[in-house]
Amino acid sequence: QRLRAAVHYTAGCLCQDVAEDKGVQFSKQTIAAIAEITFRQCENFARDLEMFARHAKRSTVTPEDVKLLARRSNSLLKYITQKSEELASSNMEQKEKKKKKSSAAKGRRTSEEQEAAVTESEDSNMA
Amino acid sequence: RGRPGSLQHKSALFSCATGPQQIHGRESWSLSPEEFEIWDRLYRLKEGDGVKEPILPQIHFETIENLDETSRPEEEAAHTLSLSEWSIWQNRPFPTSAVDHSDRCHHFISVMEMIEAMREEQGDCSYELELQPHLRAEDVHVQRNKSHPSASKSA
Repeated sequence: QRLRAAVHYTAGCLCQDVAEDKGVQFSKQTIAAIAEITFRQCENFARDLEMFARHAKRSTVTPEDVKLLARRSNSLLKYITQKSEELASSNMEQKEKKKKKSSAAKGRRTSEEQEAAVTESEDSNMA
Repeated sequence: RGRPGSLQHKSALFSCATGPQQIHGRESWSLSPEEFEIWDRLYRLKEGDGVKEPILPQIHFETIENLDETSRPEEEAAHTLSLSEWSIWQNRPFPTSAVDHSDRCHHFISVMEMIEAMREEQGDCSYELELQPHLRAEDVHVQRNKSHPSASKSA
């Protein structure tokens, strides 16, 4: 429930951005539904990512696995690939700095990328 | 009638590629002349049939750049299959034959159920009220607060 609450809050923030952008309002029920879809979509993603990594005989999920989630849509794949390259190059720059935190950051980054992807596919579903 | 002509043309094409015998036709990727005749007579949608050609909706993203968006000129003349027209049926699992519902499908059904349950709600949202006590500030990006939504913050 704690995780759900965090997803719900974040979904609310993102919906607010979209609402301001488009000049519309989201009902609380809409945000709740988007949050629940996101939460459940993370389960789909997590399961797929684990299988993708295992398929490549890895136990660590890498950006390549995340790209594989987006394989069905060229547009989404291009977007995720660009983001991944941006991250990779900014990682190079900050490599020294990050060395200590890298393990912690890696896990978080993956889930953030996931969330971004979820939000996008949902946005298009809602429209 | 241009159809028999095109059919003959195709048969000729097939037979020169695979030989006239049915066995050969079946081994090839495409329809044999006999199969083509059956398809053409029984299944193929023709202009006189009074039904529009079924097409699937194309993927379109609102928030990212869309590639390969080929605008199909005949879209008006076709029947775009709808995935949302019968949404009120979708809060329960539909019967299956040989393939079970996936987890993903069950997630979809659950969310449709949840939406159905919230449909009559006015104002306050039960989902929000249930989750509010579990929210921890350290789990979320608090710097986003400038845009905090009245929707998920009010209580």
